[in-house]
Amino acid sequence: MRTGANPAKAGLPAYQPQQLGIATIVYIPSQEGYFEHSLQILEYTLAGLRSSTSQPFDLLVFDNGSCPEVVTRLQTLSEQKQIEWLVLSHHNIGKAGAWNWIFAAMPNELIAYTDSDVLFRPGWLEASLQVLDAFPQAGMISAQPNLYDVMDGQGQAHRKLEGDGRYRSGEYWPRKEIIDEYCLGIGATDEIAAPFYKKPLPAVTNTQSSIQAVIGASHMQFIIPRHVARQVVPLPATMGLRRAETMSLDYKIDALGYLHLSTTEPHVFHMGNTLNERLLEQVKGVIQVAPASATAGKKPPALRRGWRRLVTRLVQSPRFNKQFVRLYNFLFQALHAEK
Amino acid sequence: MRIGQNPAKSIESVPQPQPVTVALVSYIPFLSGYYAQALDVLKACLTSLWESTSGPYDLLVFDNASCAEVRHYLQEAHSQGRIQYLVLSDRNVGKGGAWNFIFQAAPGETIAYADSDVLFRPGWLERSLEIIKVFPQAGMVTARPMRTPEAFYTSTLKWAREQPDVTVEEGNFLPWETYREHVLSLGTSEEQARQWYASRQDIRLTRQGVSAYVSAAHFQFTAPKAALAKFLPFEMDRPMGQVRSLDEQMNLAGYLRLTTCEALVKHLGNHLEVNDTRQEAGSARKRRISNLPPVKKALLRIYDEIFKLYHT
Repeated sequence: MRTGANPAKAGLPAYQPQQLGIATIVYIPSQEGYFEHSLQILEYTLAGLRSSTSQPFDLLVFDNGSCPEVVTRLQTLSEQKQIEWLVLSHHNIGKAGAWNWIFAAMPNELIAYTDSDVLFRPGWLEASLQVLDAFPQAGMISAQPNLYDVMDGQGQAHRKLEGDGRYRSGEYWPRKEIIDEYCLGIGATDEIAAPFYKKPLPAVTNTQSSIQAVIGASHMQFIIPRHVARQVVPLPATMGLRRAETMSLDYKIDALGYLHLSTTEPHVFHMGNTLNERLLEQVKGVIQVAPASATAGKKPPALRRGWRRLVTRLVQSPRFNKQFVRLYNFLFQALHAEK
Repeated sequence: MRIGQNPAKSIESVPQPQPVTVALVSYIPFLSGYYAQALDVLKACLTSLWESTSGPYDLLVFDNASCAEVRHYLQEAHSQGRIQYLVLSDRNVGKGGAWNFIFQAAPGETIAYADSDVLFRPGWLERSLEIIKVFPQAGMVTARPMRTPEAFYTSTLKWAREQPDVTVEEGNFLPWETYREHVLSLGTSEEQARQWYASRQDIRLTRQGVSAYVSAAHFQFTAPKAALAKFLPFEMDRPMGQVRSLDEQMNLAGYLRLTTCEALVKHLGNHLEVNDTRQEAGSARKRRISNLPPVKKALLRIYDEIFKLYHT
């Protein structure tokens, strides 16, 4: 039975969310293979956010069924008050499934989403907000020029700007270094990278403020106003990480008439799942990196032993690559399948 | 840089949400004073939930900045797969803030909400869902009968009286023991409970052979997610005391507020019942002194000040 009055009714104020809420999804099912360095990279992401974000924010981390070591680390960060809301899902409910939680529930007026392998540079928020101010009809704004149009030219919302005297459509040629960095982040082969250097990006300029933005945004990192986020959920969420499902976010935003935009300069950087010397330099430029934790200090395993070089060549050959990928995925599923 | 393909892309299917999300909010900032037994109460709550809930459901617990002991207990239950979704809030966002989060994020079509001091008995969810199915306008179904102010169920009564296939009965249907169990759990005296019991009646609705009482309470209820969505977001500037607006708004919007006819949940409050009569007698003496209005006022003030010192 109840004895006495609940002190929570004593009139204390409840916590009021910050205007900005930043959310990330973590899925590190093991600390081997593809995910060997993922925890370290996640730490860089969180540290970069803390050091490069110029206004107070609430951080939500959605753990999508990671391994116990990662969950324990997140719990420690939560206890150290580095994470405002830690959501622990016992299962991997997919990226779109986690987005459904984030976009439906975050109380902040402006929501910033990031994958857990993105490095934030100072000024990322200001640049994103500048674009939002210049284009209030924006639904998603990435802080890196969008080089790859996931909608494959099917987006319609930006066409409404054509003929509107407040805006001028045009082209934007990203500098070579921007493309180099983008390709480095995604691990693009020369073949994949080549077209990026040959064509300009579609862009739009606010004629009054002269703010230019690239048309298109990336799922990797973006800001989305809460009122837009609330309208796009629920997204279909039946698979782990399938473009067909994550793209439904783009189609919904576009169908609602909101723009996909990105900044003309790269204020965020995709770290991916490994760090080499060059990438580590980027990290060091933003946050202090403890030497002991520098994964890039290690030589790639394939270079450590000669015989592995041979296997690496075999794996990368077109003849065997597909089989190895299938074997790898089979092992992954066997090791991490839902029990 | 990215090397290799993210194996997550090879995951062909992920677990789909169960149709019902059972959601709890916990707030136990320390384990003394008012909260001395609160962890034991939380354990009793969750244990009874796990033991008494059949049928598929996901369990979501929103911890509103509890102390380390409570969080560790919840994390352990999560790691064992007994809690599917655990939200650890670093700050107390208020009960309204927690509701805003869970009612929007809960993936089930139906949300069964409970405070973390509720004991569940077998059949609580099935009976609640049965009532929602038979009374499609149902907005909140509490799994125990109770008597609440008429102002919160005028729409239910109006709707019932207009339906040709709904039988409306008024009378003293609720057994005294059932009534007493709940009212005393709120800290009401036996004498007061008897007065209230004698002064009010129950209204029972029956449709398609399924009966329900007119009434509901926000300490525990089952509701369609779509119905709750209409009242979001709730005010959330205080930790407690703002959630009654849900009762009012549900009624104003024309949703039915109903309860099961059996007591399938029990409000535990902040301490579990003890059978030590000597302790009870001693406690009664202390209660008499501390209930003297000036003493009570002074003690409450000191108590609240200490709480504020610790937690502001």
